[in-house]
Amino acid sequence: MSFVDLLSESMPLLLDGLALTLQLSAVSLIIAMVLGILASLMGMSKNPVLRAINRAYVAIIRGTPLLVQGFFIYFGITGMLNIRISAFMAGVIALSLNAGGYLSEIFRGGIQAVDPGQREAARSLGLSAHQTTWRIIIPQAIRICIPSVVNQWCITIKDTSIISVIGLAELTKVGQQIIARTYRSFEVWIIVGIMYFVIIYLLTILARVVERKVSLDA
Amino acid sequence: MPKVEIRGLHKYFGENEVLKGIDCDIETGEVVCVIGPSGSGKSTFLRCINCLEEPTSGTIMVDGNIMDAEAKNIDTLREDVGMVFQQFNLFPHLSVIKNITIAPVLRKKMDKAEAERVGLELLARVGLADKANAMPNSLSGGQKQRVAIARALAMRPGLMLFDEPTSALDPEMVGEVLDVMRQLAEEGMTMVVVTHEMGFARQVASRVLFIDGGLIAEEGTPEQVFGNPQNPRTQTFLNQVLEA
Repeated sequence: MSFVDLLSESMPLLLDGLALTLQLSAVSLIIAMVLGILASLMGMSKNPVLRAINRAYVAIIRGTPLLVQGFFIYFGITGMLNIRISAFMAGVIALSLNAGGYLSEIFRGGIQAVDPGQREAARSLGLSAHQTTWRIIIPQAIRICIPSVVNQWCITIKDTSIISVIGLAELTKVGQQIIARTYRSFEVWIIVGIMYFVIIYLLTILARVVERKVSLDA
Repeated sequence: MPKVEIRGLHKYFGENEVLKGIDCDIETGEVVCVIGPSGSGKSTFLRCINCLEEPTSGTIMVDGNIMDAEAKNIDTLREDVGMVFQQFNLFPHLSVIKNITIAPVLRKKMDKAEAERVGLELLARVGLADKANAMPNSLSGGQKQRVAIARALAMRPGLMLFDEPTSALDPEMVGEVLDVMRQLAEEGMTMVVVTHEMGFARQVASRVLFIDGGLIAEEGTPEQVFGNPQNPRTQTFLNQVLEA
């Protein structure tokens, strides 16, 4: 089978896999962003219990491999509770919990990186703590966070490939299936790699445009 | 009633006692310049007045209202106390005019158009009418500080605090900021100015406080403090800064 035949034969399957990868990424990242914001707020809370919960969450996510987290959710928890969830659902839970932990640290870092003089200036004008946070601190923190957030998005999109081990037919899994049939490991992994690369590359271009749009440099 | 009444002000940072019992009244219309060696507590003293630092003990009253960072009305009380910082602290994500209008719009519920009209007037006063739509990062240090003054004035405060407003400026830009402050003093604004600009203090101050080691070591008119200092520490300090 020529390369062109291989390509044309496997492309529909690979595109299905890519679509699933993108769905898994998008759903997980949306949930992860919300989770990350909530967790970072907990991390900066005055309440020591909320801070402790955030610290434990981040420590567990950082301290264990995503692969183990995925197995634990798909096999461990479901076995323990004697329930069944779809591989997609398990993937979304694992990826969003994982990315949420890292994003919460990124958001916390961004907020704490805003010059304390900004808060002082706002409060000295009479702005309330709430107005200061939302009008002065958050808009600057978002700008600081953008590169690290985009970086985390890239990582999570690629991490969806790890979810292939629980049987979800995303891009990497589809690649494996095609190789199992055709034995064309070299070509198929190049094609799969290019497909990931293009997605990530488009995302970073988009991010650079946004970053330039909101830049504060004169 | 004095504009500001300070009684028994002590401030600790951890174990370190920065202010060791300051009593001081500031009358409406006074321009008080605070001088002293670095680390003497003069900036902390200023920052206690609008409660950016919370006193460890003692009271600060502005117009008879106790300034307490935990009090419900602290935001309202701060509206009357403008502050200008050494590092300007303009909001870099907002244009110059938005920097000026954000507080009147949010706090005084001023109509946006009205706030902009007032803001443009203030910008004209500090000589920056053409910079309304510029972003802060495109301005020079002197321009930033003049915008910061206009921003504070937009709340129509009865008292203005200046925390070393020219210390972060290149020498050629000090004059433009001091000119704005001098004009403000002539218009009768009550001002407390922590400064190393002895010329400005001598010329503009109605009273000079020399703070050393967390205490007011000497106070009086500029003539008294600069011309005939009584405390040997004042003499030493003035000799050091005036010779330099």
